[in-house]
Amino acid sequence: MSDPTTNYFVSVAEIAAKLDQATHIAQQLSLTASNARAVALRAGERAAGFRPLTDFIDRLAEITISSSKKINLLASTLSRTSADKVRADNAIEHFHDVYVRAKDSPFIHSLDAQFDLCEAAQQKLNTKYRRQIDQLSDELSMLSNELRNAVILATLSRVEASQAGVQYQEALINVANNVEGAAGKIKNHIHYSQQMVSTLE
Amino acid sequence: MKTHKLFENGSHSWLMFGRDDDKPEQIIDTNQYLVITKNNALLMDPGGIELFSAMLSAVIKQVPADKITHIFASHQDPDIISSLGLWDQALPSSTLHSPWLWESFIRHFGMKSITYAAIPDEGNSLRIDGVNLEFIPAHYLHSSGNFNVYDGEAKILMSGDIGAALEEVDAPLFVENFDEHISKMKMFHQRWMPSNSAKNDWVQRVRKLDIDMMCPQHGRIFKGDDVKRFLDWFEALEVGLIANSG
Repeated sequence: MSDPTTNYFVSVAEIAAKLDQATHIAQQLSLTASNARAVALRAGERAAGFRPLTDFIDRLAEITISSSKKINLLASTLSRTSADKVRADNAIEHFHDVYVRAKDSPFIHSLDAQFDLCEAAQQKLNTKYRRQIDQLSDELSMLSNELRNAVILATLSRVEASQAGVQYQEALINVANNVEGAAGKIKNHIHYSQQMVSTLE
Repeated sequence: MKTHKLFENGSHSWLMFGRDDDKPEQIIDTNQYLVITKNNALLMDPGGIELFSAMLSAVIKQVPADKITHIFASHQDPDIISSLGLWDQALPSSTLHSPWLWESFIRHFGMKSITYAAIPDEGNSLRIDGVNLEFIPAHYLHSSGNFNVYDGEAKILMSGDIGAALEEVDAPLFVENFDEHISKMKMFHQRWMPSNSAKNDWVQRVRKLDIDMMCPQHGRIFKGDDVKRFLDWFEALEVGLIANSG
């Protein structure tokens, strides 16, 4: 992990990469939901209690995918903003250096107007950067809360699977494990990202 | 960063910047040039990012920022123009004159505000406040899209990497003993310059110009008879070679 105080733009890129992985896992969750529906249909009456759960798995997959995509987009935007911010900060640093080195120059104040513009642009970028961090942080919390339901869903799925008969039991327990596994992995990525985001705030 | 006046008359002056004591050790020392006319200035091969603060500080001691209306980059190398993203913040209204071949590459250094004036392969000229500066083709010497700047009034040729020498940061400004200077240039020209025919074509064209000073981007300036000595030596030199490969 890079030092976020000096290499914040690297940290943001790392967050974006982590969340990209989360989106891929969310897509696996969607496959699990389709699979669950197919198994429940085949099992017929014996999986009657399982069928409504597939709707919840579907919904969870849908929310997770759309939220992951949104988070991913926010992280990429933040990554671009942070790269712009590095450039702006860098330019300001160089301007300061020039003001010291050429302080006796009769023309030093010919830089003032452009320096002011650069400072204003830097301020604007700072505000944008903070706002995008807040948005990312909020969206991560929302998805994290939503994923708590995955544990309940997996437990209920296991209970219903045990009543579906030997033929379908294994497939349905597998669905429950997949839901829990995918949700767990996504939560880990989110937790990591939340920790990284908190160092940027 | 040291500043030397190379030429001055009623219409314009030439300054050279270089021999930067403060530059980080592992980067090559570079010469930068500035032509100042009545209301404008052309900054040539302004250098890398590492040099920007020193360079802008040196330039701002000579002219106000809004007078630097033109920048020239002989080619795309980082020691020539990787500072572009910072100049873009400092001189957003200026125009960058550079080979058309490198436009989409040079823009990678960051260029939001500066205008790119692409120089066609055959070269062209820039007239500022009545002073005529010609962009002379020097392709494959060493870059595949490459120009020199010639000022017929000052009789100065800014030759980019042609005539460059690798030497100490405190080296004298002018070549003092041409024969001794050869050892500092030979490997550079043989290794970096890929084409004998491009080299000979350039020598033939440049021989027709009236030149008092030939100013490379690294090393020392050639003055008077040393310009002809350089052209003779360069014409006879086999280039496109790796040392010890024959």
